[in-house]
Amino acid sequence: MRPLDESETTQVFEKLFKFTGNNLKNIVDNPSHEGPEPDPGRYCFRMQKNRVYYVSESLVKRATNVKRDNLVSLGTQIGKFTKGGKFHLTIQCLNLLAANAKHKVWLKPTSEMSFLYGNHVLKGGLGRITENIVPQDGVVVFSMADVPLGFGIAAKSTQDCRKMDPNGIVVLHQADIGEYLRTEDDL
Amino acid sequence: MGEQQYEIDLGNLMAFDPHHHFPSLPSSRTQQRFLIAYLKLLVKQLFLEATYCMGKVYSNHSLKIFREELVKECLQKGTKLVQAVADALFNLPSSEDRDGPIVTLPPPTTRLPREKPLPKKTPPTKWELFAKKKGIVQRKKDKLVYDEQTGTWKRRHGYDRVNDDKDVPIIEAKLTDEPGEDPFAKRRAEKKQRVEKQEKHRLQNLKQAAKVGALPSHIQLAATALPITGTQAAPRKASKNELANVAGMAATSTASGGKFDKKLAGEKPPKHEGKYRKYLPVVEGSGMGSLEKQQTEKVLSKLISKNSHEMLNVEKAVNMYNVKKDKKRRNQQGKSSSSTFGKLKPQKKPYKKTSSKVSPYKGKSK
Repeated sequence: MRPLDESETTQVFEKLFKFTGNNLKNIVDNPSHEGPEPDPGRYCFRMQKNRVYYVSESLVKRATNVKRDNLVSLGTQIGKFTKGGKFHLTIQCLNLLAANAKHKVWLKPTSEMSFLYGNHVLKGGLGRITENIVPQDGVVVFSMADVPLGFGIAAKSTQDCRKMDPNGIVVLHQADIGEYLRTEDDL
Repeated sequence: MGEQQYEIDLGNLMAFDPHHHFPSLPSSRTQQRFLIAYLKLLVKQLFLEATYCMGKVYSNHSLKIFREELVKECLQKGTKLVQAVADALFNLPSSEDRDGPIVTLPPPTTRLPREKPLPKKTPPTKWELFAKKKGIVQRKKDKLVYDEQTGTWKRRHGYDRVNDDKDVPIIEAKLTDEPGEDPFAKRRAEKKQRVEKQEKHRLQNLKQAAKVGALPSHIQLAATALPITGTQAAPRKASKNELANVAGMAATSTASGGKFDKKLAGEKPPKHEGKYRKYLPVVEGSGMGSLEKQQTEKVLSKLISKNSHEMLNVEKAVNMYNVKKDKKRRNQQGKSSSSTFGKLKPQKKPYKKTSSKVSPYKGKSK
């Protein structure tokens, strides 16, 4: 386990910024409620074996007692660094993103299953969409009951969405909660 | 205080009061040293630098009071002198410039004492001693020398010189020469040796001078490892460990990483082998340390500032306007399709100015 260095931190923050915008501050400076200490610290990012975890300080302190080879995971995993040095967000950070998302998309019940199987979101399945979406923006996908289903990248702006034909792709799929079942071993 | 005439030297920005006398030290104690108190007032850029050095040592109460009073008096007199200098300065004819009036100061009239001590004489070199003993006198040489061979005046040193080694076309073989030897190469080697010998002697002379502390100033400045004459700072000697570490680093900075070099006895391997990356400590204090906080702050602020331009909701303004226009167009189309010709014409509403919540300069951060 080690903290991230500057270039790695920039990469992680950039990816998160796509989804959260200025709420990134809330993520980074979040006062934590975990831990028995009277003064809970904040959350910090730690890297173990190319995976980035979002952990509270008290947990980090305790995790130093575990041997590096034996430490599997701590806190919430938010993403992985690939062999090429690029950072990808994984599904486990969905809760974090959903709480601080800037752009949201709600799916109709009929197309929920399609998204959970890993397909992209088509315009026909779109229930609601927030304003001001720019292409290449990060978008969190919800069901109509406000249950976060996953996240992806916007393919079109909100304006263009209105004018599109029903089979056009609105949101490119990146991660969904169906992955917990499909790719359970990779997580 | 009457108007006293001070001697003002504007070239050095100095003012001197020839009539002022400092009160002498109360001579009460028996073991009193000779008091040297002189006031050196050098007004540089109208800042007062009053320095006085006193050669006495004893901390007597009366002496202490005396010193305090002396200081006060110095400051008072000093202010008056500074005022005089300022007056004189502003009385000079000035030329206008962009930044203000500029005056040219007259050349200085007083000779100030040396700031730094006189440089030491270098010790005589071995050659100088020998020359003195033998009575060899140095004569000045001409730059141009007459060359017998070509019959022209050539320079003594440099390009196309007089007795150049390269110009010799034929070297006659002597009886002592061996058959396989190249006399031209031999000459070149000899010259190289002579040059090296001379360099060695030069360095030795410098070392001798450095021992006494009389290095020529340009070498003194270049040799940063040596202290500047006059200061007491001792040169920082690298410790044995430091040198060993540096040697290890240097040994691996070859093309093949120092793998094929012969290792000397006692040579240490480098301290950080391979790619050495220094990471922040995992847990500093309890959890996040200040270093890590700093780093995250820095990255965060950079990121936010980079994307701050996106906060301007010009897009939103444009979108809202477009949506409104679309709606209006649709409404009008709808109306026109079901419009009634004839008397009842729908009232064309004047362009309603809606309260625009949109201003291009309002930065909204969601």
